[in-house]
Amino acid sequence: MGGLALGLFIFSVLLSFLGYELPTALIWADVIVVLGFFGYYTYSQKIGAYVTKRLLEAGVTLFVIATLTFGLLRVIPGGPFDEEKALPPEVKASIEAKYNLDKPIYVQYGKYLLGLAQGDLGESYKYLGRPVSVMIAETLPPTFQLGIFSLIICYLIGIPAGLIAAARHNSWVDSTAMVGAISGVALPSFVVAAVLILLFSFEWSLLPAALWDGPTYYILPVIALGTRPAAVIARLTRASVLEVIHSDYIRTAKAKGLGYWTILFKHVLKNSLIPTLTFSGPLISGLLTGSFIIEFMFAIPGMGKHLIQSVTNRDYPLILGMTLLYSAILVLANLIVDLLYSYFDPRIKLDK
Amino acid sequence: MGTRTTTPTTSIIKPKGKSLWIEGYHRLLKNKASVVSMVFIVLVCLMAIFAEELSPYPFDEPHVDDALVPPNSTYWLGTDSLGRDMLSRIIYGAKMSMSVAIYTSIISLLIGGIYGAVSGYVGGKLDSIMMRFVDILYAIPTLVLLILVKVFFDAVEIFDDPELKALVGILAALSVVGWVMLARVVRGQVLQVKQMAYVEASHALGARGIWIVVKHIFPNILGPIVVLLSYQIPSNILFESFLSFIGLGLQPPYSSWGVLASDGWRSLRSFPHLILYPSLILFLVILAFNLFGDGLRDAFDPKMRGKQ
Amino acid sequence: MSKYLLCAFVALLAVTGCKKKQSADYGLNLDETFRMHFQTEPPTLDWTKSSDTTSSTVINNLMEGLVTYDLNSDTLELQPGLAESWMSNRDASVWTFKMKKDIKWSDGVAFTAQHAADGLLRLLDPKTAAKYAYFIFGIKNAKPYSTGELKDASQVGIEVVNDHTLQITLERPMSFFPQLLTHVPTFPVRLDVIAKHGDTWTEAGNIVTLGPYKLKIWEHDKAIVLEKNDTYFGRPAKTPYILGYIINEATTARNMFDLGRIDAQMDLPANELSLLKERKEFEDQNILGIFYFGFNTKKAPMDNLKVRKAISMAIDKDEIVKMLGGGQIPLAGWIPKGMKGYDENMGLKYNTEMANKLLDEAGYKDRSTFPRITLAFNTNDNHKRLAESVQAQLKSKLGIQIELRNEEWKVYLESLQTDPPHIFRLGWLADIPDPDNFMNFLLSDSDNNHTNWGNPRFDELVIKAASVTNDAERMKLYDEAQRILVEQDIPVLPIYTMVETMMVNERVKGFPANAISQMKFKDIEITN
Repeated sequence: MGGLALGLFIFSVLLSFLGYELPTALIWADVIVVLGFFGYYTYSQKIGAYVTKRLLEAGVTLFVIATLTFGLLRVIPGGPFDEEKALPPEVKASIEAKYNLDKPIYVQYGKYLLGLAQGDLGESYKYLGRPVSVMIAETLPPTFQLGIFSLIICYLIGIPAGLIAAARHNSWVDSTAMVGAISGVALPSFVVAAVLILLFSFEWSLLPAALWDGPTYYILPVIALGTRPAAVIARLTRASVLEVIHSDYIRTAKAKGLGYWTILFKHVLKNSLIPTLTFSGPLISGLLTGSFIIEFMFAIPGMGKHLIQSVTNRDYPLILGMTLLYSAILVLANLIVDLLYSYFDPRIKLDK
Repeated sequence: MGTRTTTPTTSIIKPKGKSLWIEGYHRLLKNKASVVSMVFIVLVCLMAIFAEELSPYPFDEPHVDDALVPPNSTYWLGTDSLGRDMLSRIIYGAKMSMSVAIYTSIISLLIGGIYGAVSGYVGGKLDSIMMRFVDILYAIPTLVLLILVKVFFDAVEIFDDPELKALVGILAALSVVGWVMLARVVRGQVLQVKQMAYVEASHALGARGIWIVVKHIFPNILGPIVVLLSYQIPSNILFESFLSFIGLGLQPPYSSWGVLASDGWRSLRSFPHLILYPSLILFLVILAFNLFGDGLRDAFDPKMRGKQ
Repeated sequence: MSKYLLCAFVALLAVTGCKKKQSADYGLNLDETFRMHFQTEPPTLDWTKSSDTTSSTVINNLMEGLVTYDLNSDTLELQPGLAESWMSNRDASVWTFKMKKDIKWSDGVAFTAQHAADGLLRLLDPKTAAKYAYFIFGIKNAKPYSTGELKDASQVGIEVVNDHTLQITLERPMSFFPQLLTHVPTFPVRLDVIAKHGDTWTEAGNIVTLGPYKLKIWEHDKAIVLEKNDTYFGRPAKTPYILGYIINEATTARNMFDLGRIDAQMDLPANELSLLKERKEFEDQNILGIFYFGFNTKKAPMDNLKVRKAISMAIDKDEIVKMLGGGQIPLAGWIPKGMKGYDENMGLKYNTEMANKLLDEAGYKDRSTFPRITLAFNTNDNHKRLAESVQAQLKSKLGIQIELRNEEWKVYLESLQTDPPHIFRLGWLADIPDPDNFMNFLLSDSDNNHTNWGNPRFDELVIKAASVTNDAERMKLYDEAQRILVEQDIPVLPIYTMVETMMVNERVKGFPANAISQMKFKDIEITN
């Protein structure tokens, strides 16, 4: 099951990276296989009760987030129809009537919840006549692509780099990797992106400087977005591998005559992933919802910019839709991370 | 997999708290990279304190005829679009940015660290509630929260000094959103560490909860905290410029490295000096924080004792 | 093993069923495509509801109004659009428009005066909730109809006389009324198309238009492709395709331009203007828009005329404009350069001596007693630099220290409504090239007058001028009104006439820059 899920996932990512549009069937297959995998895992570990509880909690959390955001939006100054050229009161009144903004706030809230229950996120105030759900559906794919590619880069570079640095502790490999990692952390993504564009697009004319239309377009934004988290993952991995390497049972394993790299990969790595994992929760939700600045810089048609612009426009339905999506991803990512804790360190008990 | 026992079990049976810290301190002094970094950080702090005396020009003095000149003998690091001396602006920027760096560490450690530790250590219902609260705080759009902070902040007009006002504003904003990631990571670490044999052992010996956390868990999770702080400090230095966007942070003409960097990247192709030097100083400071942090970790992490 | 077989099978199935995404240039032939960028995703292509520049740019190429501007004339004279002629009764309160014959919509339906009437009524309909409804409140009974007080549309002064004649009755005389019909929200609509598709009628494939171009592709947040309309009634477009990428960040557009991916860039990054100005692709065009500071005349010490005057005279606009480097034109009067009524001798002159004297007289001989005042602006790189420059000037020339405050846009707008700061920055872009558009928003009861200032004489002059048909007489009234504004009462401090800067690739001829920022692409030619 796990193999199938992974295989399908890798295949989808590759296909998408090569610039193909993923067929809907494949996306559904991905979703079903992933859900199936977690269902199976839950079942086999007998943690059904825990997962159910967490999912219920997630529902409550989302509800609280929606309510709080709804309320806070009415508290902060500035409304959706305040513009440089102020609208006459008559005009403003008919616009507000159209969006029910003239009703008492509890009526607005009730209507919103009612719509939500029917899966209706409302219509954007700024992009007239466009349902929020459609906007999300259209802008999510590029953002997801960017996020998933960056995540993969993070782990593919970060974990091995951290592991090797720790294995060759205090050697030149270690120092190089760590100076690299610190440089990666210290530079803001927009500076990295600007430098990448300068080099790859202008100096060497190798890669396009903006847009989102195929493998060559993906490379620069993915690197720009992935550098900082990759550096953090490398350092986190190194730090905890170093701790585990010196513990007694690894010495026992060594004494048993197991090969160094076997020990490293089979025993050490699995035990050192906890800090990396915890960092992954916020990282996944952060990357999947996109970095607005990278999307701006590379003119990527994603939803990252809506996360910011909807707020500056006070586009209430869009803000709420974005927030709900973001929180759902965050809550799920955290649930998965918590499940993985017990997978990587069985002594951590989930049902507590 | 065998049960894991860690080396310093003896120190639990014979608590010798003071000597642990002193020992760590001595070890820290032996680490050359750490010492150099510490000296560097202190120097930068001094530069911030004596910014007025050190900078060749007032940071807000425009020289319209010398706008955007590259580094030369008059303006060592060039000038910006108003013709203000970049070197002076970088020196001045240290004030705000170093404060943000230091406050970030304190706030992350105090709020994030304690919050995460309590949540992970106590576990159960409390853990659930505390973590859901963190989720909620993390999920509500940051911009909305920050505008809210600003509104509250504007309601109380008690600050005469605009720089002080900006500083307190940033502090307030960071207190709301700056510690969340750290809280989650600390909790994860605590979950893991509290299973360890020696913690259970000291439980068995009747040690009190707080003591266990302070004595054993904190040194053990110092590693990831240092790494995360090294991620958060530069993020927050830049975040500060985002705060000026909503009027919470520094108001012009004051400068900070975050403001300089986010103003400057657009000019990379035309006026590289606008982004190069702010990035460089940012980089050096972060490097110093990291090396110092690593030294700190190595010195106080019980598992690293006797190694290296 | 079966697992891998299954995988391979799915993979095969998937690859055969997959199609490559469309390429970035949509397979268009570069020699017949003008490639440009839009600074935002157009909020809507429903012209009745549109209220922003990006939407207007796209719509202005898809549609046409009853009347249009001759964009080649400096004074933006009116010329026939869908209407071949128009005339008014003697006092300019009833206007009759004769439509051109043989105009066809892109779906083949003939254009009639009814469509034009539908457009205006839809703009007023409260159910449409259009922001620019107020634009035609001058039409008889338009206002009560738009608030829902009056339900009967036939009582609104819009009458379809026959298929080719539209008669509009106004509440009161308005000499510049035809100009309003150049404005995008007033364009004719096809109610049948809107009814058929609902809110999605503006998507490519649904939308029905009659201008020089048709909407071929609208990939939201990404790009818009326009295609030449072969049945257009006017002079046909010279370039078959227009491709506009949606690029929010000016630096990105600049990169794309330098790499040859787009042919023109508008909105050049402010920081780099000094360099870009030297390049041969650089063009600039002053537009009918002003940048100004407003004074809250009820907030001490700005309630003191002498203080307002001193500050106004202490600011060297030439220096500001030089610093901004975008070719902006210093403005001392209120009406921008390029518009009727502009007078370069209007307004206060820069004079620090006089300014200092005025401030002494105002009771602040000891400058340290000058209260701390705030200059507020919304967050923006240019506004920030300008504010910093003003701050530095007041410090060095008047010896007073002012505090700058930047605010997030909507917070800023709300503060202007509720409690305007001492000094605030704002801009005004002309909707129509008529002085009325600049004067009437400072009437004492205007929602756009945040200065808390009002002068009955000013109000009287401006209201009277709107109905005067004799140009010379009108300009005299505006002249007096302007002097009240910038020489006598000084509730506002104009800084400059806005200038649009752009880079246009040399392969493009006939790039449509004009003072009213109506970019019409039909005269663009691609040469090689």
